Amino acid sequence: MLVVTLKLGRHAFDDNDALMMAIVNRTPDSFFDQGATWAEDKAFERVRQVVAQGAEIVDIGGIKAAPGVEIGPEEEKARVVDFVARVRAEFPSLVISVDTWRAEVGDAVCRAGADVLNDAWGGADPELVDVAAQHRAAIICTHTGGVTPRTRPYRIEYDDVVAAVLADCEAYAQRALDAGVARDSIVIDPAHDFGKNTFHSLEVTRRLPELVATGWPVLVSLSNKDFVGETLDVPVGERLTGTLAATAVCALAGARIYRVHQVVETRQTVDMVWSIAGRRPPARAIRGLQ
Amino acid sequence: MKVVLIPGVLALRPEYASLIDPVAELRAAVDAAVAWAGSDGLVVVGNGSAKRTEKAPGYLDERAEGFDAALRDALAEPSPEALRGVDPALAEELWASVESLGTLADALEGARLVSVDYDDAPYGVQYWVMRWQR
Repeated sequence: MLVVTLKLGRHAFDDNDALMMAIVNRTPDSFFDQGATWAEDKAFERVRQVVAQGAEIVDIGGIKAAPGVEIGPEEEKARVVDFVARVRAEFPSLVISVDTWRAEVGDAVCRAGADVLNDAWGGADPELVDVAAQHRAAIICTHTGGVTPRTRPYRIEYDDVVAAVLADCEAYAQRALDAGVARDSIVIDPAHDFGKNTFHSLEVTRRLPELVATGWPVLVSLSNKDFVGETLDVPVGERLTGTLAATAVCALAGARIYRVHQVVETRQTVDMVWSIAGRRPPARAIRGLQ
Repeated sequence: MKVVLIPGVLALRPEYASLIDPVAELRAAVDAAVAWAGSDGLVVVGNGSAKRTEKAPGYLDERAEGFDAALRDALAEPSPEALRGVDPALAEELWASVESLGTLADALEGARLVSVDYDDAPYGVQYWVMRWQR
């Protein structure tokens, strides 16, 4: 496995650390929690909970990914900027990521203390990389197949989905480098379900070693997504087992960051696979060794 | 001459390291005793029964406690004669690692006990860390 030291804003991580990025929605309508953390205090409770569960990163989002009511930049900022500042103040050692594609929002959250800009929409706003560079923030470079933010894939086909993912992620990473983002602050994400049908997301999972082989740290966002639901024919709320199976496959390949709803379960899955892969000693082994 | 007894616990070896050391206290005692013995000292590896409890590697054998108690007394005195008198068949039945007792008995002729640094059976196996000076 190619290993890269990872710098996420003001925080640095060892070569072999696997990191949990807990999803914190400041939205009334995200698919998994349906607005459970829409109220600021509820969202803050969620941050406290995932920190207690050992998440290294929170990923704060003000707009749900799926289509819905249009949220302008002012409203998006109102949802996330002060919240980021509040989280920064209470948790100085926590990595704060913000899920946004807008440079204007990225600038505001970095001023409030964000460390990572998680651009789930593959560079739709070309100035986002400049904002990351200016604030020495990390950036997540995703592949979406060039779709417009907040649209669902419709009859998208690829000659080779992984080749497309590699080409777009590497091009995005290069754009970030050219803009002045530090090499160790660039992460790639194949973006399961984004611009992809279930067959595409399964193939990306199966061929994740090809992404890891680029040398860029790989983030995977698998948690409770439709490709899990469609593969197992289960609704949201019954997708944890499938999510963890996909997580295990990505962990074996060497993905470094896991964007998740369920921190404890994912951490155990990744720790188990990390140990199987020989990258982590067991927690406490004595059986047969007395 | 300095003589030390330590148990042959695999968990002490670096290739079996865990994130949380399951034998931290034993390791500290072993490291200190081996350091004390120095390059001129004799380090002997052996331990008592591995049948001390129901969770022990060899399950519980009621005879194990008495066997270990007698062995402990022979070591602590020390009595080379008693060490040579340990029943090898019973030792084997009780999964006691006593192969080096002969060497130890010879080394302890005329020696005195310096300290018992460890005397416990945390995982159903009786461990001792002891030091002698001759």
